[in-house]
Amino acid sequence: MSETALERQIRPIYDALDHGSNKSAINACNKVLKKYTNNTLVKALKALALTRSQKVEEALVLCDEILAAVVTDDSTLSVMTHVLKGLARNSDMVAMFDNAFKQQPQSEELGAQTFFAHVRTGNWKSCQQVATRMHKQFQEDRYVYWAVTGAILQANDLGTAPNIRTLLYKLAHRHVTSCPTPSYMAVDRFHLHLIILQELQLWDEANTLLESDIGKSICSASLVCNETRREIWRKRGLYKDEGERAQEKIKNNDRNWLEFVSVIDAAFASVQGPDVSEEGKSECSENIAKTRDFLTEIGEVDGSNNRSASLALLELEKNAFSHGISSDENTLVDSMENYFSQFGDKTCCFEDLRPCVDLGADAKARWISFLASEEPSFATTGDLQRVINVRKLQRISLAASELSTDKESCLASTYIEEYMAGLDLGSSLPVTELQPADDLAILVGHAFVSLWTMTKDESYLHNAAVVLEFALTKSRMSFQIRLLLVRIYRLLGASSLALDHYRAINIKQVQNDTLSHFLLTRALTFSLSATGDLTYPSECIESSQIYVSNSQDTPDFIIRAFTSEKYSQIPEFVSFDDRLENSLQRDIVKLEHVRMRMTHEPINSDLIDMELIELKFVFDRFHHDNRDFGMLPNYQPACQPSLNDQTLMFGNSTGQGWLWYFIKIYIRAFQHASDLDDIVEEKLLIGDRPKKSPEPEVQLPLRERLAIRKPEEVAELTADELQLMEWATAVSDWLEPYHDYTRPPPAMVLAEANKQNELRTGLPLRGVDLKALNANANANGHAKKDEEAPPVKEPPQLVTQFFENMHARFVQLQQSQCLPSDLLHVATLTQEAFLLFAVESHRFKTASVVKIHKLGALVQSLKDIRSKACTVLKTMSTDLLKMGEVAGSAERRKSFVESCKPITDFPRLHHDFVLNIAKNVGESRKKVLEGVGKGMVKICTNYGQ
Amino acid sequence: MLFSTSKHVDNPLPYYFKVSFHSALSVLNVNLITMSVLRPFKASDLFRFNNINLDVWTETYGITFYLTYLQRWSDLCFTQESPRGRLQGYILGKAEGAQTEWHGHITAVSVAPEYRRLSLARNMCQRLEFASDEIYKGYFVDLYVRCNNALAIKMYEGMGYSVYRRVREYYGNLGVGKDGRDEEDAFDMRKCLSRDVAQRSIRCNGRDMIVSAHDVS
Repeated sequence: MSETALERQIRPIYDALDHGSNKSAINACNKVLKKYTNNTLVKALKALALTRSQKVEEALVLCDEILAAVVTDDSTLSVMTHVLKGLARNSDMVAMFDNAFKQQPQSEELGAQTFFAHVRTGNWKSCQQVATRMHKQFQEDRYVYWAVTGAILQANDLGTAPNIRTLLYKLAHRHVTSCPTPSYMAVDRFHLHLIILQELQLWDEANTLLESDIGKSICSASLVCNETRREIWRKRGLYKDEGERAQEKIKNNDRNWLEFVSVIDAAFASVQGPDVSEEGKSECSENIAKTRDFLTEIGEVDGSNNRSASLALLELEKNAFSHGISSDENTLVDSMENYFSQFGDKTCCFEDLRPCVDLGADAKARWISFLASEEPSFATTGDLQRVINVRKLQRISLAASELSTDKESCLASTYIEEYMAGLDLGSSLPVTELQPADDLAILVGHAFVSLWTMTKDESYLHNAAVVLEFALTKSRMSFQIRLLLVRIYRLLGASSLALDHYRAINIKQVQNDTLSHFLLTRALTFSLSATGDLTYPSECIESSQIYVSNSQDTPDFIIRAFTSEKYSQIPEFVSFDDRLENSLQRDIVKLEHVRMRMTHEPINSDLIDMELIELKFVFDRFHHDNRDFGMLPNYQPACQPSLNDQTLMFGNSTGQGWLWYFIKIYIRAFQHASDLDDIVEEKLLIGDRPKKSPEPEVQLPLRERLAIRKPEEVAELTADELQLMEWATAVSDWLEPYHDYTRPPPAMVLAEANKQNELRTGLPLRGVDLKALNANANANGHAKKDEEAPPVKEPPQLVTQFFENMHARFVQLQQSQCLPSDLLHVATLTQEAFLLFAVESHRFKTASVVKIHKLGALVQSLKDIRSKACTVLKTMSTDLLKMGEVAGSAERRKSFVESCKPITDFPRLHHDFVLNIAKNVGESRKKVLEGVGKGMVKICTNYGQ
Repeated sequence: MLFSTSKHVDNPLPYYFKVSFHSALSVLNVNLITMSVLRPFKASDLFRFNNINLDVWTETYGITFYLTYLQRWSDLCFTQESPRGRLQGYILGKAEGAQTEWHGHITAVSVAPEYRRLSLARNMCQRLEFASDEIYKGYFVDLYVRCNNALAIKMYEGMGYSVYRRVREYYGNLGVGKDGRDEEDAFDMRKCLSRDVAQRSIRCNGRDMIVSAHDVS
């Protein structure tokens, strides 16, 4: 058959793949392969179709065949790229292109593809080497810059030692200077050059570049180059020059804040560094006077049209005081008062003044009385904004001695009153607009949350919820109000209401990474997944989609940035990719999902093995915390924790320490229950292992790492979580010897895996030498070990007592004034312990294992613990169900409404409105209390025997 | 042989979010020059832009959208940071068109609620105009705005933009709302750059020139 005829046969395969009909693609491939048994392109296409239909083993066999010979033709390489990407085998891809490029060193396309394959794996050293080779071969300037970028990225890698870093920058510098065309031919090349000079502190060369006509013109048009220029100037200590330059720009109407920063820095140039001379001080105070004149002049010209000069004056006075140049804070307060008079009607006025309010006693008294002298007016939105700014500034200045429940209650009613007055100003706004008075409602929320933290009286949270819910009816789109409600409802255990508000904010894409903590932190507490309601596990999965799209898409953009020579973007993209790939929130959600998964899926070796491998990967990461805690406003007094901290459920959030602790519990339990040891895992793993963190601790053997306990990590656990941790450690220590003794040897496990695979696909496992396995197995007999079985020990007291202790704690909480979320926390942790116990005892459920190893006594102990635990869970469940009943009752609604007495005097917050909120809260609580209660019974039924 | 699996989306915007513009933005003082840090928009800003993007008028797209803009037109994407380090707003733009249609386009401009009425949008638009002129040598800058968004239109007019044509059903599938056609139709507004000496990119009767959404890029 001719080549065109073959092509005609291949075309339908592509079509089938494009249309997602993998089955027909496989059939079509098989047909062609009958005649052309060795056609690599068709084999590759078949591998792709197999990968896409999840037939991984078969695809791998084909891949091995294809990669055994060197592939050089474009089509096959392109198909294989997709296959290997799908299998997460980037290292195979790198090898494939490396070989191809070696075979055809004259092919520029292959060179580039090889380079890109290394980019995908983040192997910057190889990138730099391949690019250097390409430059030698093809004499294209851009490959020099590819090599330079490779060197810089390698230098910036976390694991690179400082001396190597310098060496790499020197190498990059050599590359740039040896390039025949100067760097200023392109903005991004020029920028790269500047970065290198900055790192190596080659100021003369930087000066020549920047002071040249072309350098100046590039910096004037390119913000990114100008940014680097400014940094270089500052690093050189040229504050005065930069200050003069900035003054000129300001005189020419430039109002970029960076120019003002330069002017202020110039004023304090003589008092920089540790040893400040008297001359330096007096020079500085002269400079301050001059700068003050300059800024005052600009401020007078700009008037209220522009706040830069006035704000710069504030900065100047504040710095003069903090540097010890001025001893009188009165000038600062003067500027603050002026500033407020001019810009008090802008929302940002509060943010602008906030850093200045930390004043000495006299100055503070003056400032406070100034604020108090402002007469509240609601005539215009500007006036309203002034009122809001005064209230916020007053609030953050409240001293601990002034704070009392009376004071806060009084403030709360002032805020509500003013909020209601302010509402009239926005009465004609369309529903999509935000009310100008919103911040006053948020202040009400602050006051009630503060009252709750002082008294632990839940009714204050009811008041907060009612006012905020009312504010939402006026300002439907306010995400700040909704986020605060999410927090309050979680505290109140009204989790479905929290979920509704969270969803209404419409968080998507990358926002999931930064904001899902609002909903998913310790979401197990509210998860009803044991009863089959998978709302929370699905939220976990949905919020994690962003990580999939990141790993699919971002590397492509890094590659595109190379082809389009956007070097300034490359380190940004690389770090963006890394921050999402190794996001702390990603793995916190992952763990939360595992915790929930165990409540509704059967605990078997599939679940255990898979989660074990994944959690071990997570344990090797270097995490980045991208969580955004700045979305809740904070107007709490400086002497109090922030609103964010006050409203965190159980008083803290789950950070790295929490993740490490929980992951240690789970890895250890799964390790015990699993038959996978390192040898088996290596054989069964398909894709590449993720990049390991360079942290020294991560290099320790896993066993040692699992035993590490750090006080700063413990601090992130609640007292109850710590109990769980200690119990889990004791259980693991107690059962470990029996697991290690009874676990089948690797040869047996692999043989079994092989058998399963043959049954499923008709093919043996690749990479597993069956003959050697059999020989081993025969030599060892049938899983018989030489050493004696470890003697069965009684369980430690910590292990046996745990469930009763948790029950005691539960009862104690019930009797005290506690939030439903606290009770649910104890209940779900007890349930979690029970499930972990099911994992730890999974192996000993098989009768033959117990019989062969004579573990009858151990099994009896396990049974005792389990039955005790079951009793506790069932009691808790009954209590939760009862509480659910009460939570949804009419009396509860009535007492909710009564507890809102402080606010129901306002006609708009009438009885029916409050009753409706009471009803919603009651029903939501009932749902979660009952759901968790029922789930616990179900779990007892599944694992109680 | 061409192998197409990854679909590169050239214009991944849904129709109805071409320009996300809050009407409150448009109340402005013409003389007011903004005070804040103007700097290039960076990929890492996606972790920090929640105060801007949680606003109902601003759409959050997939990461490929932002990365496409940064990879192709990083010099037309800026952000304004407050002196206290919070993001206040950003603008994303691109350069497109052939011959005398070669121009800068404002895809999205958005300012966080607490930083409105400070002329941040105007400042960012000016910077984009400057870059379209200096770097890209375009003939004009254009943008799309809902026909019923009178405040925004007035603001753009104050900034030197004028209606070039009316694009029918540009904001598609919202259906005909209370403002009828004005809600789903867009004005394509333009402002000449220095290269267009004869000012051929604009016209005075633009509001009467009606084209269908298929005819515009």
